[in-house]
Amino acid sequence: MKNLGFLFAANLAIWGGIVFYVFTLMKRHRDLRRDLDLLKETLNKESSK
Amino acid sequence: MSSAEETDEQEIAEKSDEGPGLLLWLTAAGGIGMLAAVFIFVPTERTEGIVQRIMYFHVPCAWVAFFAFFIVFICSILFLWRREREWDIYAHASAEVGMLFCSLVLITGPIWAKPIWGIWWTWDPRLTLTLVLWLIYAAYLMLRLQTGEGSTRAKYSAIIGIVGALDIPLIHFSVLWWGSQHPSPKIITSEGIGTGIDNSMGITLLVSLGAFTLIYFLLVSLRVNIEKMKDEIDRLKKQRLYSH
Amino acid sequence: MNSYLGQIKAILWKDFLTEYKTRELFSSMFVFAVLVILIFIFSVDLSLVNSNEVGPGVLWVAVIFAGTLGLNRSFTLEKEDSGLQGLLLAPIDRSAIYFGKMLSNLVFFLIMEAFILPVFMVFFNIDLLANLGPLLFVLLIGTLGFSILGTLLSSLSSNLKTREIMLPLLLYPLMVPIAIGAVRLTSHVLGGGELGDMMNWVGMILCFDVIFLAVSIMTIDHILEE
Repeated sequence: MKNLGFLFAANLAIWGGIVFYVFTLMKRHRDLRRDLDLLKETLNKESSK
Repeated sequence: MSSAEETDEQEIAEKSDEGPGLLLWLTAAGGIGMLAAVFIFVPTERTEGIVQRIMYFHVPCAWVAFFAFFIVFICSILFLWRREREWDIYAHASAEVGMLFCSLVLITGPIWAKPIWGIWWTWDPRLTLTLVLWLIYAAYLMLRLQTGEGSTRAKYSAIIGIVGALDIPLIHFSVLWWGSQHPSPKIITSEGIGTGIDNSMGITLLVSLGAFTLIYFLLVSLRVNIEKMKDEIDRLKKQRLYSH
Repeated sequence: MNSYLGQIKAILWKDFLTEYKTRELFSSMFVFAVLVILIFIFSVDLSLVNSNEVGPGVLWVAVIFAGTLGLNRSFTLEKEDSGLQGLLLAPIDRSAIYFGKMLSNLVFFLIMEAFILPVFMVFFNIDLLANLGPLLFVLLIGTLGFSILGTLLSSLSSNLKTREIMLPLLLYPLMVPIAIGAVRLTSHVLGGGELGDMMNWVGMILCFDVIFLAVSIMTIDHILEE
């Protein structure tokens, strides 16, 4: 069972990297979704005026 | 570790308009299958010991990186030919995901090499090629950041995508011949599938190749969704501007 | 076809004339190349290493670094006072503009190399004259590849805000085959070897030249558009 640390480090790098990327994607997605909803709302208000 | 990741992906899938439902479940199944195969099914390799299991992640990462850059090449050609924004989005998403996996290859490579060969890095042709590829596509993504929105950015990045992909075989041969001039230990020669690989190892490698390819498609579809949302916002903003 | 060559010649002539009047590009490229060679000599102990092995690498690094200055200048010069717009408005083919620019860059680089080579020969104590023919051939095909890809990328990066930064970042990784091949060939030739022994390298560099010349002709319309 020697070198377990290296195996752990490699797995940490891979899954950490992928999860981190997914998180940044999610954050961008959430921000954009908020912008989009806000924009749609203002457009609706303006058109109903 | 993968369960946390799956719930994250689920949330996104539920929120987005055209959620990658089937793809998500396929990827989750592939991921679980891969982890089971790598950590339970396959026997520990005799000479290299437990570290050899890194191979089942390292090689698929390299495959996904090359595949992603190939997709960038195809989409770049299609963009210059058809001039449709769609292809630019796909090229961008694929380049970004390819860059992620290329970085993972470059990180896991030394982690694998250190316990086996006793060195972090060797100027083996494959390692050198991966490093140069990383540099090319880093420049490609920087070009995308530097240029403003619009068709100029899409055209320029498409050209770099094509030039970069055509350069890959030339770089491959040049680093291969360059490496053969330096006396270096022949290390990763028997790595290919088939020769000297046990049946169960081959199966495990295939399973993880499949799982990583699914992860690639999932990430690209998420990235594409974001880009399309940006386009939608731009469209609405313009619409609002003109309606006043 | 005759008029096409005439167009290329006109652009070449225009660049030479500009350079002849200003003389800013050539002098800066030459001085910069000498500086690069000097810095390498300081950083490498020449009494310990074989200068035949280090020399070619230093020579090509100097050529590529100094050439980047020239490439940066090549299209930004056109951007000043909207020179490029004038060129685009002229009734000539876009690929003729590319060819003219590429050839003028190539000639500037070759002249610069002609001036660096004696400096290189003296500093590194290498006898270049014994193998001058093959050496010039290697310099020609290597520099041709550099100016083919360099002109394409400099026309592309001239439209960016951060052009001086992006050009080397894009160009250098793509230049890896030329950089390795040209250095190998140069050190082989300087060691008195036959070019025929390393035909694979020569073939690869020629492949590089042909492939990227074709890509440039096909894509230059997309860059020189507005």
